[in-house]
Amino acid sequence: MGGKVNLGCVFNIQRFCVHDGPGIRDVIFLKGCTMKCKWCCNPESQSADKEIAFKQDVCLGSVQCGRCINACPSNAIIESKNDKSAIEINRELCVNCSKCATICPARAITVMGKLMSVNEVINAVKDNSIFYRRSGGGLTVSGGEPALQAEFVECLLRTCKEMGLDTAIETCGYAKWEDLRRSCEYANLIFYDIKCLDPKKHKDFTGVDNELIIGNLIKLSHQLRDTSVIVRTPIIPDFNDNQEDVRSILKFISKLNNIKQYELLKYHSLGEVKYKQLGRKYELSNFKPVNEKKFKELQKISKEL
Amino acid sequence: MGDTRNESSCIESRIGNEQIFKGPTIEEDKLKRERVKKLLEDFRTQPPKVSIERARLLTMSFKETEDLPLELRWAKAMEKILKEISISIDDNELIVGNCGEKGRHGILFPELRGGWLAKGLEELNHKDENQFIISEQDIRVVKDEILPYWKGRTAHDAFLNMLPEDTRNIVFGDDDYGTLGLIQDNANINASLNWVCDYQKVLQKGFLGIKEEAEERLIATGPDDPNNNIDKTFFLKAVIIVCDAMVEFAKRYAKLAADMADVEKDPVRKKELEQISRICEWVPGKPARTFYEAIQAQWFTQLALRMEQPVAGVIGNGRIDQYLYPYYKRDMEEGIIDEDKALELLECLWIKIAQFLPINATRAKSFWQGYAHFEQTVIGGQTQDGRDATNDLSYLILRSKKEFPINYPDLSVRIHSQTPEDFLYKVCEVIKEGSGFPKLLNDETIIPFLLSQGALLEEARDYTGSGCTEVRMINRDTYLPLGASINLPAALEMALNNGEVVLKGKRIQLGIKTREAREFKDFDELMNALSIQYDYLVKHFYNRQSILEIVNEQKLSAVITSLLHDVCMRECQSIHKGNIKGARHQDTGNINIIGFGTVVESLTAIKKLIFDDKTLTMDELLQSLKVNFEGKEVIRQMLLNAPKYGNNDDYADNIAREVDAMLLTSPRKYKTVKGTSLNVKYVPVTAHVGLGAIMGATPNGRKAGEAFSEGISPSQGMDVNGPISTLISIAKSNSQKFNNSQARLLNIKLSPRIVDDEKGIKDLMSFIRAWCDQKHWHLQFNIVNSDMLRDAQKHPEKHKDLIVRVAGYSAFFVDLSPALQNEIISRTEHQVM
Repeated sequence: MGGKVNLGCVFNIQRFCVHDGPGIRDVIFLKGCTMKCKWCCNPESQSADKEIAFKQDVCLGSVQCGRCINACPSNAIIESKNDKSAIEINRELCVNCSKCATICPARAITVMGKLMSVNEVINAVKDNSIFYRRSGGGLTVSGGEPALQAEFVECLLRTCKEMGLDTAIETCGYAKWEDLRRSCEYANLIFYDIKCLDPKKHKDFTGVDNELIIGNLIKLSHQLRDTSVIVRTPIIPDFNDNQEDVRSILKFISKLNNIKQYELLKYHSLGEVKYKQLGRKYELSNFKPVNEKKFKELQKISKEL
Repeated sequence: MGDTRNESSCIESRIGNEQIFKGPTIEEDKLKRERVKKLLEDFRTQPPKVSIERARLLTMSFKETEDLPLELRWAKAMEKILKEISISIDDNELIVGNCGEKGRHGILFPELRGGWLAKGLEELNHKDENQFIISEQDIRVVKDEILPYWKGRTAHDAFLNMLPEDTRNIVFGDDDYGTLGLIQDNANINASLNWVCDYQKVLQKGFLGIKEEAEERLIATGPDDPNNNIDKTFFLKAVIIVCDAMVEFAKRYAKLAADMADVEKDPVRKKELEQISRICEWVPGKPARTFYEAIQAQWFTQLALRMEQPVAGVIGNGRIDQYLYPYYKRDMEEGIIDEDKALELLECLWIKIAQFLPINATRAKSFWQGYAHFEQTVIGGQTQDGRDATNDLSYLILRSKKEFPINYPDLSVRIHSQTPEDFLYKVCEVIKEGSGFPKLLNDETIIPFLLSQGALLEEARDYTGSGCTEVRMINRDTYLPLGASINLPAALEMALNNGEVVLKGKRIQLGIKTREAREFKDFDELMNALSIQYDYLVKHFYNRQSILEIVNEQKLSAVITSLLHDVCMRECQSIHKGNIKGARHQDTGNINIIGFGTVVESLTAIKKLIFDDKTLTMDELLQSLKVNFEGKEVIRQMLLNAPKYGNNDDYADNIAREVDAMLLTSPRKYKTVKGTSLNVKYVPVTAHVGLGAIMGATPNGRKAGEAFSEGISPSQGMDVNGPISTLISIAKSNSQKFNNSQARLLNIKLSPRIVDDEKGIKDLMSFIRAWCDQKHWHLQFNIVNSDMLRDAQKHPEKHKDLIVRVAGYSAFFVDLSPALQNEIISRTEHQVM
């Protein structure tokens, strides 16, 4: 670290979170992910760079406002051809310079991602320590994949620990072992995602092999054996919403020694709107909710751990 | 008014067609509440009625007592009412006594705002959320027999006549019973500020015991008294008259119950009536012996107080788990009652309370929406010697709050550093139910506050909540003159327009000519102009307060209220006399600030956009406000998106602190005619809706006519960083500049998803502990429900703060597509947002 300021790219600091570790917590969402899951509910987390998000419904349009059209140096913002009063962003031309976001009065255009130093993050959450103290809560680093910013995460969590704040991390496990280890080093609790043990299915739905993920979890259980791990599986219809998948994960993790709990998360399509805002397509657009009864059954299995 | 639930400060229950009975639980429970449910039946079908008997009897008495001292006039009037008002006992009732009418009703106080009744009575009949039924014949009686006597004799007539002309204009304009819009005056709507009496005195001594004391004192003030206390004899005689009348009132019920028992065919009911008869024969004259008697005595006392004088928010129940506990404990130990029986008796009391509705004699209906009622019922807290005061009855009352089908009583819990964990757990379980109750009061702030105002430690520890979020020390406080609400956004408008303000569409020069806004060189000059305008309103406020102090003393003498007060009894003075020796003459926050958040947000936007960034000029702003942002949406959006108070953002929060300090400074400069220095509070009830309705656009992006922010909170939906950031901001806004700030009302929206499991309850407990650590004054939760979400679909700008809470996911409700929103609404109906 020395004289160099260690910066992380943060896309949100969510306050008063109660489902991401003990007590009342702040979750630091970091940008950049190694996987590309079709069901991803935080699409703004995928790219490691800043991105422009556009909320059409709050935009005042080019007749009333149109400030962004003039502000854009790349001519990427134009009046819509279909609706003369609306605007459109040409993502091909956009260089994410964020000039439009600065000038947008309605915050219809915003920048996803902000470079923050460890100190800035700490300053943004330290007033909450009174609530952490009372609830046993603290700070959770999430993403994206935090291990992509291993140096930053390591420094942030170490600083938290030095301040007496509780720490947790949420990881998909798909990262270089050394990065993952560093990121988890100062976490009191690790949430570790295992989507599916079947390599082919895994690749189909997430774009990557699961070998690294499985291998990393085994390493974690040996090398950070004193750190509690909660394994999580998002239950996705027609992917892993069946007993075999859940049972095989259960069987695998029950052999490891620091897995505290196995938790299933119900798939939801709440992220859909954000795809549109980022100018991307939501692949699971004909969303089917997870069958409630089935989910309950699977949950029962997961609790056998 | 689909969203009043979100906007009204202390959540009022809506009885009538919308009455919600909680879903059937277990069979046993259904059976258990059979009596209560039967008693509640006509709540649903019948709008409340106006009962004119109290007003008629009072007037008859006053006509005959013009030559008597004030205390005796009031005593005689109460005597006549208690002896002659019609009485009845309903089927299934266990606790008896009402103000002259069966079922839900309100009563009239012609001695206060009689002039309003002529027109107001007909307005009451209008079918709306405040409807009261009154017959043509009764209206005629009021107009022909009651009002002619009071013409020129009411407290309000005296008040108006005594007000300096400019003050009268600033406050009332041309509407003596409404408001011009700058100051919404509560004078004579009620006779007293929020009040609770010392019920324990009645339970322990009985009215006959109190009468004996008065008789002894009277003998001592006889011709042999070396100090000649002859002036005190009027008070003592008045006490004796009223104590006797209280006993007689109960005995009338005893006789009625006995007569009814004689002809009752159902043997079970017959026994009940016989018991009622025995109880009313005994209390409230003699000390209560059982839990049942204690509750009946409490109700008779409360009922008499309700007939004696209207108090703001209706008379409170005080620390009910403390003064009823000895009776509960003894009866439980002796096996006289069990928990269910105790619960039934308590709930019969809640029903009696719910049957009585205050009628607010003001044209400004929207200031008191719904049948607002604040009979604060306080549990928990500390004993006089600083131990935790929670007992079995505290738990039982909490349970009743959870299970009782209507939103009564107005329940609050005193929280302190030693509140037991399991009690707090139960409190959170009730909060989770989503009714907004109980509200919480913070001992760790309120006790030091009372000490700083001169209370003894044991008195301060024994404080009770009273009214909406105010507090009282029932044997020390005596200050009753009502305050008023100051329209703070109007002061800002005057600061920005050289003293001019547009009210109800009319531009008027009402304030001080500070200077044209475009001439402000920096933000401090604007702040200075605002403080001058505010100070101007405060001066007029002190004028009206002084006059009201004089009028109260001249016109009112609440004998029952006074005889239950240690200091009044010791000094033989009516509580309406100012400056009684040994009393604390301190108000409960009479300067009520409306629109704090609106003004802070406005100032922050102006500072940021006009003075710091210079992306907007003052002229552009004023022009946009003038046209209500018509065609100026860009500017409105800039204002809306400026830094906002409530998000733990120092830029905005420092301005909030500066405004708070300013609001506390002016009132310190003045005194009333009786030497009172007034306190500031932030308790809107629904005045933020009423005053907002008559005001134009404000620089925080709020459009004309929309509600102002509520209490000490930011405007609706402006605190988008979650409840913790809101709490931190609000803590920072508390300037603590002087010890004249109290009753800071704070409502927090909470998503049900947070509290739906064991961990959720634990987190809510931690949240409350941290709130206590932060030394806030009050807290009330609004559990997000599907109605609120539907409103958010319609008005997304008001609900920018609703966060969808799912593990590992972040988004705001208003950002979701309609389809997804609908899905969440349907899920929320099953409590899983």
